[in-house]
Amino acid sequence: MGFLDNSGDIILDAVLTDTGRMRLARGDGSFKIVKFALGDDEINYALYNKDHASGSAYYDLEVMQTPVLEAFTDNIASMKSKLISLPRNNILYLPVIKLNTTFDSATAKHSSAHFLIAVDTVTENEMDVDATGVSIDGVLMGESPNRAGNRIRLDQGLDTTAISPGRTLDPLLVETQYLIEMDNRLGHIVSRQDASRASVSYVDDDNVASYYLSRGTDSEYVASISDTAAAAGDGSIKGPRGTKLTFKVQSSLELNTSDYLFDTIGTTALSADAVIVGKSGSGKTFKVITSTIRVVGVNTGYRVDIPVKFIKLQ
Amino acid sequence: MATTFKNFLSNDLANTRTLLHEAIPITGSIVSGTYGGAGVALGSETNIKTYGHGIFESVYDYPYLSSSANQIFDVTVGIASNSSVSASTTTQNAKKINIYNQMAQYLVGYDTTGSIKKFKLPTNSKEMRDCYFIPFSRLLIKDEIKKGSFTLDMSVSGTTTFTQTKATNYFVHRIKLTDTSGSNGYYVDSPVGEYGVLFASTSAGTLALLQGETLGNAKTNPAVGLLYYQAGIAVISASVFSQAQNEENGALAGAVYPNHASIIRTSNAATAVDASTVGFHLAATGATIAQLADGFRNRIYNISYNNTTELNSTIYFCRAGHSDFNYSSNPTYLTGSSIRVKTRAADTPISYITTVGLYSADNELLAVAKLSEPLRKDPTNEITLRVRLDF
Repeated sequence: MGFLDNSGDIILDAVLTDTGRMRLARGDGSFKIVKFALGDDEINYALYNKDHASGSAYYDLEVMQTPVLEAFTDNIASMKSKLISLPRNNILYLPVIKLNTTFDSATAKHSSAHFLIAVDTVTENEMDVDATGVSIDGVLMGESPNRAGNRIRLDQGLDTTAISPGRTLDPLLVETQYLIEMDNRLGHIVSRQDASRASVSYVDDDNVASYYLSRGTDSEYVASISDTAAAAGDGSIKGPRGTKLTFKVQSSLELNTSDYLFDTIGTTALSADAVIVGKSGSGKTFKVITSTIRVVGVNTGYRVDIPVKFIKLQ
Repeated sequence: MATTFKNFLSNDLANTRTLLHEAIPITGSIVSGTYGGAGVALGSETNIKTYGHGIFESVYDYPYLSSSANQIFDVTVGIASNSSVSASTTTQNAKKINIYNQMAQYLVGYDTTGSIKKFKLPTNSKEMRDCYFIPFSRLLIKDEIKKGSFTLDMSVSGTTTFTQTKATNYFVHRIKLTDTSGSNGYYVDSPVGEYGVLFASTSAGTLALLQGETLGNAKTNPAVGLLYYQAGIAVISASVFSQAQNEENGALAGAVYPNHASIIRTSNAATAVDASTVGFHLAATGATIAQLADGFRNRIYNISYNNTTELNSTIYFCRAGHSDFNYSSNPTYLTGSSIRVKTRAADTPISYITTVGLYSADNELLAVAKLSEPLRKDPTNEITLRVRLDF
């Protein structure tokens, strides 16, 4: 009779993130670890081969051979995808969060595949309509968000045709709280109704602002999707639908009044090159900062990065 | 409701304290050989930093003008105001007294009248009135010197020519200062923590070099200094260069003792032999602190000790129960909302753990730990990951 393998005791050395060190240095008690999450950033589940000829023991052979990177100390570079706890094991579909660019023209992306945010009035005047007087898709008014109805909208639900959108999404899978992360130097999240600013939960050491928006308390941002018709505008989600998140972006005062950040982290582009063409047509020069706004479902963990460009007419 | 976090319970945390030790060998060649040699004036070695105030010198492990050089220790000398060396005619008399008093008030403290106490050997209650001080860099000692690990091997050769080229016979007579009793015989009446007594023993040479020493019997070794473990400062009595008959704490015996010129080490030239039994006293009256420090430094054969780093750790027991963390929000986990690792709803959900994130109440990632390879999680297993965070 052999000994049992007792080598399964796993001890891991943790490293503090930059935010952890910052909070520790602050000495105000904000460094307090109260919970944990598990991540699988390196895993490519497409390597899971359910049809492996050698049997089920080989299904995850390639997944298990995935090399794991050392820990990053930058808090925004780690734990990008988290593992989820669900009380049921018989779930075949998980909800996604999807950018809805088809609801109406006001939610569409710009032809450059980004949302453009005009950071001052001069740029807004150039970009509100094209040379033919037609509103340009995907241009958000960064100085005066209420000047146009353009906004960013995301829908949540099961994006599958296997289940009818008329069916109610399992309450387990309904996302009720969203986290929006964006560069606080560039802009702020505002509501679509009255352009009031959302409350920032915190700004980390990398100037990334986090906004937590919940259904119920932040009804101007988060609401349930009631339309269950397959062909409706809400139909960016093909199956049962949960909630939707809608917001606008206001440019920061720094972008509005200064070119410093444009010169530091941005580029200068001719309108034609950058596919940014306003009412004056091509030939205009814009300063451009390319960034992303990250939306994360707090409960379901699903994450979407929305590409945005902050633009300023020269 | 789906969740991605799990809160720690009170029994999921444990605190531990671990002492780590590193061996620190300081070879004499770094201290006085590698960057010295013929043609290099004493104190002008590129790894020795001297100062305009002249009250101590610093030893580096590399030429100190290089950014990669590290300071390893300083050397200075002090005399008590009641030392027989102290006189108005003594060179740098006030500075030597100031150094002694500064070290004494810091390491020994004050008596009930507020006066600074003198360094005193607890084994024989004798005052150490003339002392060499060696404060080691925090870089080396870390939190403290490990008790019982300290050794300073130094030359007490005297009746031989003393050249900086380090002739073989220069180190022929050596004594070794150790805190051998430190591990179980240290003292705690210092304001800066614990200290032990440095005992001298013959390290090289055929005869016992020290007063009262019986070779092979550690109990007969004379006490010649103190070692402050937490402060990282060695206080060595100048008696290591003197004979007992003429000194209150003289340690050397027999015909072997350094002549006063070689204690000072003012030049690179060979020095003549003298027969004085009070070498330090002859030297200290006319020499500067820097000259005395140079002389002492050039007699160092080796220093070694173990340092101590106190690691305070919190261990977080991350317990993933059978129903926890079996699904993933990884974008590759789904294809059109369908879970890739399942064919039917009844199939077991599977996820793979590569990272553990420790979070604050407001969901800020404060610490990260990584696994060496993916760890499969499914409803048939429960996993406890012990994550250690050191402070």
